[in-house]
Amino acid sequence: MTDIVLECRNLRKIYGKIVAVKDVSLEIREGDIKLMFGPSGSGKSTLARCLAMLTTPTEGDVFLTGECLTRPGVDLNKARARIGFVFQHIWLFHHLTALGNVELALRHVLKSPKKEARERAMQALREVKMEEWANHYPAQLSGGQQQRVGIARALAKDPKIIILDEPTSALDPELTGEVIDTLRDLARKGTTMLVISHEMPFAREVATEMIFFDEGTIVERGPAERFFTNPSSERARKFMARLIKRTRRE
Amino acid sequence: MIDLLVRYFPMILRGLLLTVQFTFFGVLVGLVLGILLAIGDMYGGKIASTLIKFYVEFFRGSPLVVQLFIFYYSVPITLHIPLLDRFVVGFIVFALNSAAYQKGYIKGAMEAVYEDQMTAALSLGLSRAQSIRYVVLPQALRIVIPAWSNEFCSLAKSTSALLVIGIPELTSAGKTIASWTWRVIETYTLIALIYLLWISVVMKILDILYNRVKIPGIEVTA
Repeated sequence: MTDIVLECRNLRKIYGKIVAVKDVSLEIREGDIKLMFGPSGSGKSTLARCLAMLTTPTEGDVFLTGECLTRPGVDLNKARARIGFVFQHIWLFHHLTALGNVELALRHVLKSPKKEARERAMQALREVKMEEWANHYPAQLSGGQQQRVGIARALAKDPKIIILDEPTSALDPELTGEVIDTLRDLARKGTTMLVISHEMPFAREVATEMIFFDEGTIVERGPAERFFTNPSSERARKFMARLIKRTRRE
Repeated sequence: MIDLLVRYFPMILRGLLLTVQFTFFGVLVGLVLGILLAIGDMYGGKIASTLIKFYVEFFRGSPLVVQLFIFYYSVPITLHIPLLDRFVVGFIVFALNSAAYQKGYIKGAMEAVYEDQMTAALSLGLSRAQSIRYVVLPQALRIVIPAWSNEFCSLAKSTSALLVIGIPELTSAGKTIASWTWRVIETYTLIALIYLLWISVVMKILDILYNRVKIPGIEVTA
């Protein structure tokens, strides 16, 4: 049994009267690639943000390598430093170059010396094939290139896990490909990941488990192959059918 | 007009230097205070935010001349203490006044870059203070430069209010020269030209600065 990296128990998130996440329990082990998918507005992003403690859960607990993050008095900055997060809308720091974006956390969170931080940042950029663009500013890069820098930024601090919240859904299909290739590379290296995505061919290829999420909760989870051949829940079956049809059209 | 400038050069120069000093002091100290007030307003909680609001309303809602009077005359007289040095009062009022305006500009700029950039910074493990320092402020200050040049412009001219507490700045120098020579129109034209000249020089410098620090690839129309 490999170690659990990130886990939530009975996690619930309420915004006003809306219950965005309903009592979700989920554990991600080292080397896992969990692929979460489901209709928009179903609470996937909220769950992802709660797991990264970017949003405080209303109820329930989050554990990072066994340490409870939902207890009062936990140093959340330290915890967040060990989790990589990639945003749907990328959110690079506009005033820093690609290198500057990747370097920032190394310098000020991990407190690496300048030279070391630079080397590590360049290495991360190399991993996403963006080293040639190190000195470009985000606005000078294409969406796909920006997202690859976003991945390098999350990767550089050697996180225990990377959470990617629809990393390609703000990109057009042409640019999606290059980001998916980058993710494939990460998967091959055994990076622990939670990916929210509707890129089904990618899911089938790399996911160690797929999770169908709807109305704030996990409806069905299991090996990728089962979702493609014979999903057990009616909702998942319908959703898969639509997705597969869309993928074929593209 | 030139002969006026030559004859009264020391007086005019002293007036100009005072005007320049008060302007720079006001704008720079106002900037630091303005940043602190903006952060205090955004993070300080309800009480701090209410206090800051009163402060800003007072300094924006009353004329500078009145503020100078209050701090130079009214406060010491009410408290039965001797008058403070007029220069000290002048500098303090200028900084406090400018801070009230700059707080608004800076807060606006911070809010413009805030949400996404802050979330991204926090996700890396940076603390809130680090996120403000390394991510939010560097971008907000770039955005604020055009508004800032307005503040500079307006403060530079407001220095003429200092004559009411007897500080011999540029307008005051003009007033003295006009009363000595009776060449009122010429004197004030000369004084106006001097204001125009030095303010345009600073505006040009700020313009260059703005273009220098502009983030490549992003066009902001100010």
